[in-house]
Amino acid sequence: MAGCLIDPSRAPVAFGRRAVPQLFEELQQPEADRRLRALASLCDLMHDPERIYQTVNGGFLEQLNVLFEDEDSSVRTKTCELLHLMTAHSIGRQALLSSSLLPPLSQLVDDNSSSCRRNVHRVLNRLTLLPAGADALLTLVPKLMLKLRGEEGEEEEEEEVQVLLLSTLSSCSRLDALPALASDGVSLLGHKLSHRSPNIRREAAAVLMALSVCEDGKLQVCEESLLPVLVNLLHDEDIEVQANAAGVIMYTVIITTGKKQCLYLDVIPILLELVSKEEEEEEEKKKKRKSRKALVMYSLRALTALAEAPDGRRRLLEQLPLLLRRSEATEEDHDIRRDAQTAVRVINWRP
Amino acid sequence: MAFVSQSHRAPNESYTFASRPRPVENRSKYREPPSEQTHSNYGNIMYDRRVVRGNTYAQLIIPTTAQPDPVEAQRQQENRRRAIARKRAREQFRPSTPEALQGRKHIDVQTELYLEELSDVIVATDVECQTDAFLDKPATPLFIPAKSGKDVETQIEEGELFDFDREVQPVLEVLVGKTIEQSLEEVMEEEELACLRAQQRAFEELRNNELAEVLRLQEQERRRSEEKGRRIAQQKEVLKKEKETAEKIAARAYTQQYLADLLPAVFTSLRSHGYFYDPVEKDIENHFFPWLMAEVNNSLEKRYTARELLDTIIHDVTRKRLKMFKELETQ
Repeated sequence: MAGCLIDPSRAPVAFGRRAVPQLFEELQQPEADRRLRALASLCDLMHDPERIYQTVNGGFLEQLNVLFEDEDSSVRTKTCELLHLMTAHSIGRQALLSSSLLPPLSQLVDDNSSSCRRNVHRVLNRLTLLPAGADALLTLVPKLMLKLRGEEGEEEEEEEVQVLLLSTLSSCSRLDALPALASDGVSLLGHKLSHRSPNIRREAAAVLMALSVCEDGKLQVCEESLLPVLVNLLHDEDIEVQANAAGVIMYTVIITTGKKQCLYLDVIPILLELVSKEEEEEEEKKKKRKSRKALVMYSLRALTALAEAPDGRRRLLEQLPLLLRRSEATEEDHDIRRDAQTAVRVINWRP
Repeated sequence: MAFVSQSHRAPNESYTFASRPRPVENRSKYREPPSEQTHSNYGNIMYDRRVVRGNTYAQLIIPTTAQPDPVEAQRQQENRRRAIARKRAREQFRPSTPEALQGRKHIDVQTELYLEELSDVIVATDVECQTDAFLDKPATPLFIPAKSGKDVETQIEEGELFDFDREVQPVLEVLVGKTIEQSLEEVMEEEELACLRAQQRAFEELRNNELAEVLRLQEQERRRSEEKGRRIAQQKEVLKKEKETAEKIAARAYTQQYLADLLPAVFTSLRSHGYFYDPVEKDIENHFFPWLMAEVNNSLEKRYTARELLDTIIHDVTRKRLKMFKELETQ
């Protein structure tokens, strides 16, 4: 077997079913570079769902526990990457959730190697694809918030890490907004809303939308005077940022304070413009229609909620034809049509 | 083959130099290209460090260190110790005079007295001869290992040897197949994840949409129920007020009715009790009539007085007349 080390970064892989157990045995070796090679080979293997199944059912997952405390940072990084690949499949995610790996994994969020931290965030983000995963991560939310705040202090780590962090938070908050609200999330996210990267703006708005679902969150959004910032975001060039901002506004205008502030900020023309804009771009960019639909739906909902205020209703009555056009049968999207009909009904409502 | 010497200059210290004696080198057989070695053998005396140049009075004799550096002192001490040790070692290894015989003893003797001068000078003649110049070294012949074993030969037919183009095919197929498989797996994985995310996104959008509607309706319901509560409270307030007003009106009517006959009765009774009077009449009655009565009494009394007076006068007159008449009668 002289030729087994053709690629120095990979460990030799045994044939068939022997491959995974053999590589995991290799992980027990004291030399760091052998472990590293074995991990690299495992990473290659883990793209195959069958191998993941074998790993999970063979109980090899628990062996990774030791590797989290490895003194070599590249071993830790590679271990996290392995988990990242395993969580790409549902069975891997479920296995990770039911294993005892989560607490040591969450310790690695504070690791001093940046690539290791990034991989941990990737794993956490994939875990939140499952509602059960998001549920398991709820206890971590204050810590992640702290992380977000810390990054703000030391001039942000990397964009990717922040995006992952925010996306994890939004998944968790969608499930239960209270932990994030308790750790003063709204004001923190308010700062992120004016970040220069559109990805961060989008994710921050998404978290805010998840937070503003509950009553307390709406109040906090009003109190922190985030609505002007959000209205600015409605003019953003990124359509998903627009959609998420519209979503936050949609939730916030449900309460009376939000309605008053929005009417004061004169949001109605902007929202109407967003609703009517799509007709012009009807043909172009079929791809964008998906997120466009969300934006239009959110805007319509926000308008509906605004129409409940007398002042808003008066203003919207002047613009009624536009909404009527939306609610007619020419609009092919069922949801938008229904939303527009609701809006028209609310606007025409008389006590 | 460098200088076996120790030269060393410490800060704030005079220069010291030590050189170990060494034998003269023997020259090589062949003339070799001049190397740096010859250069080191003799040098310019002007640059020899052992030669003191310049004014010797200007030499720094005593180190002027006012305060010896402890580290330096330690190092010096160490050097000294090392030198002593070295000397001792050398003494040990030096072939010394053999031990004195039994019953004898070595003593130090000044040999001057026992020296003899060699007076007979042998006549010698100087002869010179010059060796040939060195030959240049001839080029080393190429090393050819001696042949060993026996020569044999085989016949190789067409297609018997390893043909790379053909043999590589299965290997290549496996390689390409594995690579494609791996990449397909990765692509499928990514597609699956993207699909999952898209589906989640769509679901989230719909959920947000409906959730907002639900929340809106909840809020509407809350507001309306609040409004309703307020309306009911308002209505109750109105009813209460109405009732109060009705009661007030009834009370007023009753009182009016009650008081309607009260007033005349009170007036009549008051009037009958004389609470309503004419001030002039009252004044006349109170002041005028008593005065008038008094005045009338006064005038009547005067009149009575006058009448009594008149009566008395008349009485007097009649009595006088009677008396006269009687006198007359009597007369």
